[in-house]
Amino acid sequence: MRAACYLVVVLGSLLSRPTAAQTAPPDCRPAEPMPPELGAWPDRAPLAAAADRAMLGGAVLPVGRAVDASLHRTPDVNFVSLPEQPGGSVSFGGMFTVEVVEAGSYRVAIGSAAWIDVLVDGAAVLSTAHGRGPGCSGIRKMVTFPLPAGRHVLQLSANAERTLPLLVARVP
Amino acid sequence: MVGRLMGLTLLVFGCGGRPPAARAADPLRIAAAPVPADNPTTDSKVELGRRLFYDADLSINGTMSCATCHGQRRAFAHGTRTHPGALGHAGRRNVLSLANVAWSRTLTWADPRVTTLERQATIPITGVEPIEMGLGGAEHVIAERLGADACYRQMFAAAFPEEGGTIALATVAKALAAFQRTMVSVESPWDRYRRGDTTAMTAEARRGAELFAGTAECAGCHAGPFLSDGSFHRLEPDSARRPDRGLAEITGNALDAGRFRTPPLRHVALTGPYFHDGSAPTLVDAIGRHRAVAPAVDRLTSAEMGELVAFLTALTDSAFVTDPRYQMPRRFCGRAR
Repeated sequence: MRAACYLVVVLGSLLSRPTAAQTAPPDCRPAEPMPPELGAWPDRAPLAAAADRAMLGGAVLPVGRAVDASLHRTPDVNFVSLPEQPGGSVSFGGMFTVEVVEAGSYRVAIGSAAWIDVLVDGAAVLSTAHGRGPGCSGIRKMVTFPLPAGRHVLQLSANAERTLPLLVARVP
Repeated sequence: MVGRLMGLTLLVFGCGGRPPAARAADPLRIAAAPVPADNPTTDSKVELGRRLFYDADLSINGTMSCATCHGQRRAFAHGTRTHPGALGHAGRRNVLSLANVAWSRTLTWADPRVTTLERQATIPITGVEPIEMGLGGAEHVIAERLGADACYRQMFAAAFPEEGGTIALATVAKALAAFQRTMVSVESPWDRYRRGDTTAMTAEARRGAELFAGTAECAGCHAGPFLSDGSFHRLEPDSARRPDRGLAEITGNALDAGRFRTPPLRHVALTGPYFHDGSAPTLVDAIGRHRAVAPAVDRLTSAEMGELVAFLTALTDSAFVTDPRYQMPRRFCGRAR
């Protein structure tokens, strides 16, 4: 009975709050400077994700350029490789081509808790680090991957919103 | 030593139903896990539960499935202190492993009322303290989402013919429970050693096993084949500053403040960080914080600590964490997903 009362109160409050922290709260004061490699984060241009392999040529995400990724309903996405967390029917996902000129560590920064995979030759690369972005940056999740030079596929899945702030940056 | 280890008390429960259909055989002669009489295990139910376990449609925004927190590579635990919910609310307690969960007399860290997997499954799905998957008050979306899928309708009909294939939270919980009861892990080096394979554990790990059962005073609580007494203990002095009151939150008894259930230790090398709040980052940290209940840990030499960690590492069943029977299914109803 106690739980039922809570349900009413809590869900009522949920309806009026953002479902995912994709941007920093307006009154948030940064406690640390943005690392230079993430400096492009605030200046984002829209970019549509691919929903299948054939669309990847039109969804090229340059390293170091931040975008507001436009995703697709998960049931409409045919991932190149099934993600470990594909997301439910009401979630969003999509794919991008990322061209890596020089082998090294690359950090994928996003404004939500979506699942991130980078595919090299069709196989998901094991990440080497993960964490949150600097306070107040709006970067909710960062995952680092060791990548060889070449054109790779970035897969984003299980996102709550149709759009997603996104940046791939070379780790200095 | 072999005899002492083999002599550990086996947990024996009164069984209310048939043993799990998929994995009942137990080379260590552990008593069959209890199965509720109203939810007998069937292959159809297990298959459905496996699909549901990996389906993020059980969260309000489609971002979280059971597997989001309970990942197979970590023995169905998670590598963070706590995991946030689908709506971004902070997690409250560390994610527990699901290995051998069918034998757990109590589930969760500090709620002795939760004694069945059917009950436990509803907590992350609909609970609000904290909000995890976020379906509290929105349970109707389960039938809407899953019922829109012809394959799901077929699977529920096969799993719950006596309930007319009803798609609802109750049947979802039953199917998830049936799948979790198949998560049996008894192939660690320690198990093989106890069955007589003297090469299964290193000499260091064997010395660690002796310490564990003897002078290090671990086996008093981490008892039985799953290395938990299922009881609630306080490892460190309670403080009113601690936000988590543990068992006292349920009983209302101040003497229960700071008491949490003894976690089973199988796969413990994979399930860190440790303690109910994930505040012990390593096994050495976790062992050291047992000094109030096992003062001998303060007297362990660094070599002995290494032996203890070697033994705990020998509790990892590598076949379990890669077993394809527990992985996300790639085909449903004869079709690729």
